[in-house]
Amino acid sequence: MMLNGKIALVTGARGGIGRAIVARFLKEGATVFAADLTPEGSLDQHDEDGSHFVKLDVTQEADSVAAMDHVRTTQGKLDILVNAAGIEIEKTVEETTLEEWNQSFAVNSTGTFLTSKYAIPLMREAAKTGNSASLINFGSYDGFIADPGLAAYCATKGAVHALTRAMACDHGPEGIRVNAICPGYIDTPMLQSFFNGDGSGGGGGNIETLQQAVRDVHPTRTYGTPQDIANLVNWLASDEARYASGQLWVLDGGLSAQVQQMKL
Amino acid sequence: MRLAGKRAFVTGGKQGIGRGIIEAFMAEGAAVNTCGRGLQPDDLPENVIWYTLDVSDAEAVAEIVSIVGGTDILVNNAGVQIEKTVTESSDSDWDLVMGVNARGVFNCCRAFIPEMSQGGSIINIGSISGNAADPSMALYNASKAFVHGLTRSIAVDHGPAVRCNAICPGWIETGMLDAAFDLAHDPEKAKSDALARHAVKRFGKPADIAAMAVWLASDDSSFATGQLFTVDGGLTAASPLNPGLL
Repeated sequence: MMLNGKIALVTGARGGIGRAIVARFLKEGATVFAADLTPEGSLDQHDEDGSHFVKLDVTQEADSVAAMDHVRTTQGKLDILVNAAGIEIEKTVEETTLEEWNQSFAVNSTGTFLTSKYAIPLMREAAKTGNSASLINFGSYDGFIADPGLAAYCATKGAVHALTRAMACDHGPEGIRVNAICPGYIDTPMLQSFFNGDGSGGGGGNIETLQQAVRDVHPTRTYGTPQDIANLVNWLASDEARYASGQLWVLDGGLSAQVQQMKL
Repeated sequence: MRLAGKRAFVTGGKQGIGRGIIEAFMAEGAAVNTCGRGLQPDDLPENVIWYTLDVSDAEAVAEIVSIVGGTDILVNNAGVQIEKTVTESSDSDWDLVMGVNARGVFNCCRAFIPEMSQGGSIINIGSISGNAADPSMALYNASKAFVHGLTRSIAVDHGPAVRCNAICPGWIETGMLDAAFDLAHDPEKAKSDALARHAVKRFGKPADIAAMAVWLASDDSSFATGQLFTVDGGLTAASPLNPGLL
């Protein structure tokens, strides 16, 4: 068990990727606080999985303060923070309203800032035990190269990438490692909604054809699962990753390693 | 005229991007020397001096540099590509691609740098394929990554006397591009698919790369060094998974 005795808090813990992370952390022996807007989260199902649910709207400073107070009172430290809460709005700059822009930044960027801000004192406590604490943000490969019609999302993820490096510099000396995971296409409700044509991409075409086309663009000929992401989160959270900090870890089946694949 | 009074040496001036750079440099008032493996092409612009030279041959490069003397601008443009994966590539493929694209750049830089004037500018032609992979172009992709690395090293080691930058072209309309489309199952469809992946909805022209080369050669860019400048019509800014094309 790689996380025995560690205390972890995961935001967006009831979403597709969040659930996989919580399940893996529990399996590895961690005590897990699963933070989300509701116990059901975006998957609309309630799993009794041994985690401690914490109601947390990452855009609300008071919620972050309360969540970390709860961790402090019950555990006295926090070894692992995963900022997995995120939303995406499928629009260009021209189509995006100021409200939607602000909401995107409130959840994806400001949310990461707020939970980190109030978790860091607890993580400093954890680091005093001799093993470094690990803060893991969610960037995206969209923070490097753009998907069409996702302007605000791309921008929020670029901000997370820069914040990750900044926090790694500032808090490394205190024993806190800070990394970001940058997923490509992962099989989540977000991706399914894209396939179903709810968003800008799907267009309501044949789902099978679309899914196969998406697989074919990947050098590995498949898109990822939440478990693939949880595998890397688990490693970054563990003491095996004690020398890993300040990095943006792209996990995308090789998608961004290639120049656009023309149909030649 | 932004390059008036400057001397330039452009490798690979027979055609394509190299020829575009020569023409742009001439228009800006530079005195241009160029080279290629063959004899002087009939359509070489007047006043351009041609040297028959294989840049992968270090001795030959040194000899030409002693004849030319110094230069203010060096453009390492000569390049070849072989469309193979690692397991398909032979030793002679390695010698050709790495010889011209990697060793050739090294040879020219090593020979010219001591002869370059204060404030000289070296412009290497890298590629978007040096940052992300084009399929079945293993040695080419790797050779361009070498160019990118060498570009930074030269900038760091030989500044402030010499600046060194690389241009990373995307898909430029040259003989190389036509050959690629000719190999497609349906060349017209392949072309429209490729065009749709460019934010500017056109391929590049040698003049597009030459325009960046003029800027990097001129004193307007005197604070730019050690960098890679991508000119690709927006191709690599977009995700390879373009939903509109699936």
